[in-house]
Amino acid sequence: MMRNSLLFASAFAALALPAAAQAQSETDTKTFAVIGNVPAMCAGGTLVGGNSTFDLGVLIDTTTGFLRTDLAAPNKLLSGAYCSGRSTITVSATAMAAQNFTATPPAGFSRTVDYTATASGWTTTPASFNTAAASNAAATQTRATAFTGDITVGINGFATGGGNTLRLVADTNYRGLVTVTLAAAN
Amino acid sequence: MRLHLPLLALAVSVATLGAAPALAQSATAVRTMPVTGNAPQVCAMQRGAVQPGGLVNINGIDGDTLRILQLTDSQTLAARAASATISFAAVCNFPHRVRIESSNNGLWPTDGRISSTSPDFASAVPYQAQLLWGTANGALSADATVRQIANRSWDVNQPTAGDLQLRIEIQQGASNVEVNAPVLAGGYADTLRIFLEPR
Repeated sequence: MMRNSLLFASAFAALALPAAAQAQSETDTKTFAVIGNVPAMCAGGTLVGGNSTFDLGVLIDTTTGFLRTDLAAPNKLLSGAYCSGRSTITVSATAMAAQNFTATPPAGFSRTVDYTATASGWTTTPASFNTAAASNAAATQTRATAFTGDITVGINGFATGGGNTLRLVADTNYRGLVTVTLAAAN
Repeated sequence: MRLHLPLLALAVSVATLGAAPALAQSATAVRTMPVTGNAPQVCAMQRGAVQPGGLVNINGIDGDTLRILQLTDSQTLAARAASATISFAAVCNFPHRVRIESSNNGLWPTDGRISSTSPDFASAVPYQAQLLWGTANGALSADATVRQIANRSWDVNQPTAGDLQLRIEIQQGASNVEVNAPVLAGGYADTLRIFLEPR
């Protein structure tokens, strides 16, 4: 009984082994790549404290009608901004303009206020944009490395559009817009 | 292997479709911040200054007072001509109204006890106030017929800045009775007010 069993086993082995030898000799290799990527990402951070509006209040000296020389607004802080690689920061702005008085102002008057918007903290040289300038070479600054940090956005250097010898027309709503753009760069 | 290709291609396509929007959303971050303010309606006027060479029989402006050197002719006692042009640096940054107001409608005695007792004597001296401001150009005739407030106004339909010019002129022989009537003795005065105001 035992012998029969061995023979059976032997026969099984004889059948099986040749087949196994044949599979090992015809090698077929498949390579599967496991890949992934981290896309360049930027986030503008969270505005800290208050709303996003630079509210300058009364723009003129009410005794003369000229633009106030002490105009100021607190900076805005964008906290926790980040870019996962090389990036650019760009600041652009539009002059403040009277929203109701839209006609051409009469002689001696203006309906716009120019200013400079600055975004600092991201690059060594802050990005800045002067709404009165014909070109703004410093508006875009590049950072070579990934970074996370705060961006301080401010406005200053106010001037009456057309020159400070002009006065502003009365208007309850003068409005401009500062735009800060963080962008992944190649 | 060929069987696998469509599957791989499909997988890549799905990955591409899925990844592209995420990349577009995160590769650029934009923050916008409005800048706001307001310019309230303002009218302002500085103290007046006499225009050089514009004085006749008036010795200049003293504060807010124009003092006539000699109101009457010493021979005829009739009113002498006098005139002055005064400039006021002014501004209104909105469409407005300019108004001039005479308190007495002419030069009237400062002493209320002086009154006309005869039609042969003048008890008041008329004058004219000519105003030039932006598009407004006109005159108030303080004719001294009745002692009362007299005024005149003009709408100015746009913001205006510059010099408001006021010319005060007393005609030779001006009188509230006959021309060249002698003027009763006494002091004479009027107050002229200029208003820049909302319409």
